[in-house]
Amino acid sequence: MKREKLYDSLTQVDDDLVQEAETHTFRRKKRFRLLGAIAAVLVVAVTAGILLHPASSPLITNAYAIAEAQYPEMAQFPDYMDYLDPETMEISGKNEEDFYEAYDAWYESRKAQRAYAESYSADDLSDFVHSSTLELLSGTDGENRVYSPLNVYMALAMLAEVTEGDSRAQILSLLGVDSLDTLRTRTNAIWNANYRDDGAVTSLLANSLWLDEDISYEKDTLERLARDYFASSYSGQMGDPAYDKALRDWLNEQTGGLLEEQITGLEFSPETVFALASTVYFCAKWQDEFSKSATEEGIFHSADGDVPCEFMYQSGSDTYYWGEQFGAIRRSFSEGGSMCFLLPDEGKTVDDLLEDSEVMDFILANGDWGNSKDLTVHQRIVKFDVSSQLNLSEGLQALGVTDVFDAAASDFSPLTGMDGLFLSQATHGARVAIDEEGCTAAAFTVMMACGAAEPPEEEIDFTLDRPFVFAITGEDGLPLFIGVVNQP
Amino acid sequence: MEDLRIVELYRRRDEQAIVETDCKYGAYCRRISENILSLREDADECVNDTYHAAWTHIPPDAPLSLRGYLGRIVRNLSLSRYRKNRAAKRYEGMDLLLSELNDCVPAPDCPEKTLEGAELTEYLNAWLRSLDADDRALFLRRYWYGDSVKSLAAAAGCTANQMAQRMLTLRKRLRGFLEKKGVSI
Repeated sequence: MKREKLYDSLTQVDDDLVQEAETHTFRRKKRFRLLGAIAAVLVVAVTAGILLHPASSPLITNAYAIAEAQYPEMAQFPDYMDYLDPETMEISGKNEEDFYEAYDAWYESRKAQRAYAESYSADDLSDFVHSSTLELLSGTDGENRVYSPLNVYMALAMLAEVTEGDSRAQILSLLGVDSLDTLRTRTNAIWNANYRDDGAVTSLLANSLWLDEDISYEKDTLERLARDYFASSYSGQMGDPAYDKALRDWLNEQTGGLLEEQITGLEFSPETVFALASTVYFCAKWQDEFSKSATEEGIFHSADGDVPCEFMYQSGSDTYYWGEQFGAIRRSFSEGGSMCFLLPDEGKTVDDLLEDSEVMDFILANGDWGNSKDLTVHQRIVKFDVSSQLNLSEGLQALGVTDVFDAAASDFSPLTGMDGLFLSQATHGARVAIDEEGCTAAAFTVMMACGAAEPPEEEIDFTLDRPFVFAITGEDGLPLFIGVVNQP
Repeated sequence: MEDLRIVELYRRRDEQAIVETDCKYGAYCRRISENILSLREDADECVNDTYHAAWTHIPPDAPLSLRGYLGRIVRNLSLSRYRKNRAAKRYEGMDLLLSELNDCVPAPDCPEKTLEGAELTEYLNAWLRSLDADDRALFLRRYWYGDSVKSLAAAAGCTANQMAQRMLTLRKRLRGFLEKKGVSI
C-alpha cells in the first residue's frame, strides 16, 4: 500500500534529520505565555561591575551618553496564531504565504546570529571556566554562590582592551588567548551568538563604560568598544548622586530589576576615573513545565539543619548522567539552552565537586557525556531563589591578574594618558531563581549513592534535597551561570 | 559506552553488546515501538527482536550511528508485526499513523514517474530540509518517532487541536510538494 511505502521511505531518511528532530527545542507561542497557559518563568540575572580609581584625586561632571553601541536589527518573530483564519482555525492562501515569508525572514535572521557560535566552542573557554569557577565558588561555607563565567569573561575582555603591556598580558593569559585580535574576534562572536531581540525573546550581553568627564580619553578605544563589544560609553561627574543613579538605572534596566537589592549600594566614589559594567540577563521557561499541583512541601537538608521547602515533581523518560562523585540530570529550556543539576554522591560535598575537574568537563560537555543512560527519572527539585555578591579582586589576583590592581605597575594607556590608575573595585552580583515554569534543583536520594557506577535500574529517583551544584548553559554551549545552592 | 565500542562488541560476537545496547538505547527503542504499536507486550517483543536483528546483521553492517540504525529496525519490525497481526489485533498507533500518512499520498493525475522506495526517500529528505526547524522536527517526531499529537502540542506550547491542524497543513504540504514534482508513489 502506498501509505506503507511512504512509511518505509520515511524510515530511511537521513540520520541527521532524525537526530535533530529528537533533540529539537520548539519555539513556544508568545500568546500562550501572555495568557498564562504555561506556567513559571525562570529568571536569571547577573551583573559584574569593575570600577577604576586613580591614585590621586577627583573630578567633576554630568552624565550623558557619548558613544552608543548599535545593536544588530533582527526580523520579528511571526506568531502563527496571528495568521490563522478565526473561523476555520486554518492557515491558508495569502495568510499562509505571508506567514511563511515572515517566518523565513525571522529564521534567516536568527540563523545569521547563531552562525557566530560556529567560530568558537566551549573548549576555547574551558581553562578559564575551570580555574575561575574553582577560585570564585569554592569554600562557600554554607552560603549560596552564583557566578557567571561568561559575564566575567566579557568584562575582562573589555579590561584587556583598555590596558597595555603586562596588565593586558596577564588578562589574556587568564582568558586563554594569545592575542588581543583573537580575543576581539571571539568576544564579538560570543556577543552576537547570544544576542536575540525578535519580539519573542530578548537576550543580551550588555556592556558599558562609565567615564569621568574631566579626563580625556582615547576616542579610538571608545569607538572600538562600541563596535566590537557593543559597549556604550557615558560621561559624567564622579561622586554626583545623579551619575550614580544613572549607573544603577542602567544596571537595573539590563537585569530586569532582579538585582535591585545588590545594585542599591553601588556608587562611584569621587576618585573613580572610569567603570566597566557588563550584564547578562537570561530568562527562560522549561521545555516541560512542572505541574503546580504536583508541588509539595519537603525538607531540604542544609549544612545548618533541615529547612522546609517546596519541591516540584516530574517523572518521565530522561537521560541520567553520572561521574566519579556525582549524579546529574539536565533540563532543557523552551527557547534553547539547558540547566543541569549535579548532586554530590553520599559522603561528598559541593566543594568536593567544585574541585573535581570532571565536574567542569561535564558542564562544558553540554550533554555529550559517556556515562549516561536513558531511563525513567523521578525528579524532585527544590524551588529556589539564590543570589550572591562576589568581590572579584582577590580571586582575579589569585588567578594571576595583578598589575591592574597596582597603581605602580598598571598600564591603562589605550584608554587614557593619566598615570597611577588602578582597579579599586571588582564586584560580581548574580541571582538565579526557578519555579514550575522556570528552573530549579536540589535533593538527594539513597539510590543515587552509586558513585561512579551506572544506575542498576530502569528507574531512578533524583531528589535535590541537600546542597548541590547547578549550571545554566546557553544555546552555544557556554556556561552562563554556575552556582552552589546551600540554602534554597 | 560509545557506539563504536558497542559495535566492536557485536563484531567480536560478545553478548555484552546486547546488554550495552539495552542499557543505552532500551528506553529509546521502547518509546518508538510503544508509540507505533500502542501495545506494551508487542512493543517489548519488538524491541527484543530489534536486538536480535542487530546481533544478526552486525557484522557485516557497521552502523556509524546506532541510534538511527536501531530506530530504523524498530520501525521496520513494528510495520511487519502490524502487517502480520492486524486482523487479530488493533494497533491503534500504527492505524492512526498510516491513516494520517494517507493524506500525503499524491493524487494519481498522470504522474510522470512512479517512485521507487529509495527515490522517495530522497524526495522526503529534500522536502524535510526545505522546512523550518520546528516543522521538520514536528513532522519527524510524529511520523518517525510516532509521538502523539497531544505530547507534541505540550512540547510546542499549543492545544492539541491546533497541533492537529498544523500537522494536517504539513501533510498537505508534502502532498503538494510531491504533486508539484509530478511523481506518484
